[in-house]
Amino acid sequence: MMYKLTPAQEDFRLKVREFAESEVKPIAFMLDQENKFPDEIMAKMKKLGLMGIPYDKKYGGAGLDTLSYAIAVEELSRIDGGTGVILSAHTSLGTWPILKYGNEKQKEKYLKPLAAGEKLGAFGLTEPNAGSDAGGTETTAVLEGDHYILNGGKIFITNGGKADTYIIFAVTTPDIGTKGISAFIVENGWDGFTFGDHYDKMGIRSSQTSELIFNDVKVPKENLLGKEGEGFKIAMSTLDGGRIGIASQALGIAQGAYEQALEYSKERIQFGKPICQQQIIAFKLADMATKLRAARFLVYSAAELKDNHENYSCEAAMAKQYTSDVCLEIVNDALQIFGGNGYLKGMEIERAYRDAKICTIYEGTNEIQRVVIASHIIGKMPKNEATVKRSHMPITGVRKKMILKDKDGTIEERVNKLVEALKGDGYDFSVGIDINTPIIDAERVVSAGKGIGSKENMKLIEDLAKAVGAAVGSSRPVAETLKYVPLNRYVGMSGQKFRGNLYIACGISGAIQHLKGIKEASTIVAINNNPNAKIFKNADYGIVGDLKDVLPVLTAALDNGPKKPAPPMKKIKRAIPVKEAPRFKHYVCDGCGYEYDPEIGDPDNEIYPVTVFDNLPEDWVCPECGEGKDQFIES
Amino acid sequence: MYCYRKVTDDYYWVGANDHRLSLFENIYPIPRGISYNSYVLLDKKTVLFDTVDWAVSKQFIENVKAVLNGRDLDYMVINHMEPDHCANIEEILLRFPNVKIISTEKAILFMHQFGFPIDGKTQIVKEGDTMNFGKHTVTFVSAPMVHWPEAMVTFDAKSGVLFSADAFGTFGALDGKLFNDEVNFDRDWLDDARRYYTNIVGKYGPHVQSLLKKAGGLDIKYICPLHGPVWRSNLAYFLDKYDKWSSYTPEEKGVMIAYASMYGDTESAAQILAAKLAEIGVTNTVLHDVSNTDVSYLISDTFKYSNIVLASVTYNLGIYPPMLDFLNDMKALNVQKRAVGIIENGSWACTSGTLMRKFLDDMKQMTVLDEQVTMASALNESALNDVDALAGRIKESMELDLTK
Repeated sequence: MMYKLTPAQEDFRLKVREFAESEVKPIAFMLDQENKFPDEIMAKMKKLGLMGIPYDKKYGGAGLDTLSYAIAVEELSRIDGGTGVILSAHTSLGTWPILKYGNEKQKEKYLKPLAAGEKLGAFGLTEPNAGSDAGGTETTAVLEGDHYILNGGKIFITNGGKADTYIIFAVTTPDIGTKGISAFIVENGWDGFTFGDHYDKMGIRSSQTSELIFNDVKVPKENLLGKEGEGFKIAMSTLDGGRIGIASQALGIAQGAYEQALEYSKERIQFGKPICQQQIIAFKLADMATKLRAARFLVYSAAELKDNHENYSCEAAMAKQYTSDVCLEIVNDALQIFGGNGYLKGMEIERAYRDAKICTIYEGTNEIQRVVIASHIIGKMPKNEATVKRSHMPITGVRKKMILKDKDGTIEERVNKLVEALKGDGYDFSVGIDINTPIIDAERVVSAGKGIGSKENMKLIEDLAKAVGAAVGSSRPVAETLKYVPLNRYVGMSGQKFRGNLYIACGISGAIQHLKGIKEASTIVAINNNPNAKIFKNADYGIVGDLKDVLPVLTAALDNGPKKPAPPMKKIKRAIPVKEAPRFKHYVCDGCGYEYDPEIGDPDNEIYPVTVFDNLPEDWVCPECGEGKDQFIES
Repeated sequence: MYCYRKVTDDYYWVGANDHRLSLFENIYPIPRGISYNSYVLLDKKTVLFDTVDWAVSKQFIENVKAVLNGRDLDYMVINHMEPDHCANIEEILLRFPNVKIISTEKAILFMHQFGFPIDGKTQIVKEGDTMNFGKHTVTFVSAPMVHWPEAMVTFDAKSGVLFSADAFGTFGALDGKLFNDEVNFDRDWLDDARRYYTNIVGKYGPHVQSLLKKAGGLDIKYICPLHGPVWRSNLAYFLDKYDKWSSYTPEEKGVMIAYASMYGDTESAAQILAAKLAEIGVTNTVLHDVSNTDVSYLISDTFKYSNIVLASVTYNLGIYPPMLDFLNDMKALNVQKRAVGIIENGSWACTSGTLMRKFLDDMKQMTVLDEQVTMASALNESALNDVDALAGRIKESMELDLTK
């Protein structure tokens, strides 16, 4: 055992390195600055056969091994972490599940173009309430005839918007946790499948990361990947392989940073000699090199295990966790060696420093990697600690949820219904406040989200605000990215909190941080063209429709000339939040009155939380008095 | 001297009253005393239904002997093994050595546990079994956890007589009257009946509901409980109360304000709240001082009214002990489906409101109003506005149906 690559693997490395140095390096800074996806580079990578490295030639792949794939991600990331992850997400997450779980028809239709690089792939698991814990998945797929109807959304999806096919995880059997999740192949361009924010990220800015929105998307039955209920298994095994990709990315970023720091330290003279000859810098470099070698062996070993069809789940997690952890240390030390020069935009080390951080977060946080590793060495932990209590309560609390859709009448009719309801709640539209009133002092706010579109549409918001007698606010991206309003006018947990009465959200989808900023509003009105937008579940009233159609009608309906100054604010009362009945039926024992609560289970007898009474084993007996299951009655 | 009364056909009441006991089950104050009911059937065979507490044995034995009038006792049906009813088993065995005890398997186990010498003298019956005594045939119906696991009730279909064990019982001595139509039950007895049910059987609502379902299929003309009046008219009135109590449905839209006050400031806030409620038309309210009101009365009113207000000082960084005691009892008795308002007081670190809220959150379907009054030592002008807000919100919440 020499721990050396084969000549073929070394040749392959040189080929990718040369490509990265000549093609990626010259534009990497521009991609980073402009948050730009490298379309031309993708086309060239396809030509080079880099888009299906570990896949069989019969499926359009390069027929190489996993180690070669890891080397490719490493070499790309050595120059640009963003380009590295595009390849990793495409290969490991967007393509591999079809190879592993797809039927021949699916492989023919989807795997071939992906492996050949004609199409780009992506993978959608993460949701606002389901990250590390996939059991919280809220996207649903309901079978209706020959199709599943997909509703919900995904966040933080690498290649989102750019990819042609998406492996999407959705709940097909509700309320049974991860066993109710299934995987689907979903194509870009299908009706109802749209993209939300392209996130403005700290690093890996050449990769595109987007929100996916599914609104009654018809997914043909034949696009179910594997069987119903296998989604969680598919997701977890896919992430096992994805971790080799992310480990390689972290390895490449760290390698690049190390090399630059080493070179710089030889050139930079202080106290009459190169700083690399100062012991403190020399030792830093020594440590960096050591960490790199250890990390590289972990990554390559996991790749080899995978190729040899051995278990690699634990080793891939170790590689991902260790490599990304030391990557952060290495880029930190490298930037330190660069001193002030490294802190400047345009410096590769500055970009590497930002790119590195994501590696400890995505495709399983490093905390989750440790859970995976621990489960391999200790065994599965009993689930008796956290009872899986999911609140069905919207973030903004109890709301009326009167949402008016197309079927509820013309836009005029719906607007009139809304205005009537608001007047019924006690809103007096003959009085108003200045549109520049600070959000925190405002009794009413009309806010714009990204759905507003181009800047001239802000006029619609201002007109509506004047008609309502409200101040103008916005969601975070509208202030921060689009810069339509000053930063102090965006509403949200991280921005201004709205504590007044009436909040009208126009084209705001309802990110959690935004909703947390308006939960004290007495009345929330949402206007959005996506009926599945989360804002509607958090609103008292809503109109589904295009802002350009709805806002002028609403403005006209409320415009009654100049407003009188508003009297001091009187808080309008909201509906009383009534505590709901328990989610599962309780049962009581005829022998002693003991009450079985499925939410808690019977941990002393290894009945885990969220075990419904019917699912208790037949030989389970009352933990207090020993009566059998048949001696219980519904509570 | 004996003192028995005829119930119907061949049935006689042979129980007795006790005015000397101060605490029933050594917990509940019974200022109106208590009756221990026992019944005898004179048929081809003679049958005793349950016995009485040791405290009234003398009267009981005289009554039984007088009714039997020299006949031997053939059977003793034990519906419920709690000692206030079974204490005289051994006494009966000594006086009537030929008697056969009829009861459930669990009850017979309990007889052994309590040390009665019953070997060879028992006959086990189970749900649906019948027994013929001559003209009368009775059916045994199990009633587990109303409020003990061994309990059963016995029904004579011919006479329509139901021996209901502790179900449909009440605190209060009969003092000569026996039937519900001989007293003004709604005026003089309902509060005690509610206090009896809610404190003793309150936790077992689902089991009572299950028994009520079974009873719904019987043509009942007489309900003979082990405490309190025998029901022979207007049965629907009492069955409706039982249905409400066992389903945790309030009897009335109204507010019970329970306050824990050390020097009167919290009490004053409670009084002000009650006055504000009255001003906005909410007059069906009661005020209780938790320190001088036995908790059994608090529990009883919790079952009666739709709304509760808890006003408590902070004590040792926690809830004032008598208030905590009340909360613990509420939880133990499965109280649910109520709307609760909170007033908290604390002179330096006020925690009682947050703690009471958390306690209530762990109970079932207790809707705690967000509008909370926080006092630092005493009510001030700004907290007075909060009392107004709370009063308004209580009125609104009275319109909610929380029983779904």
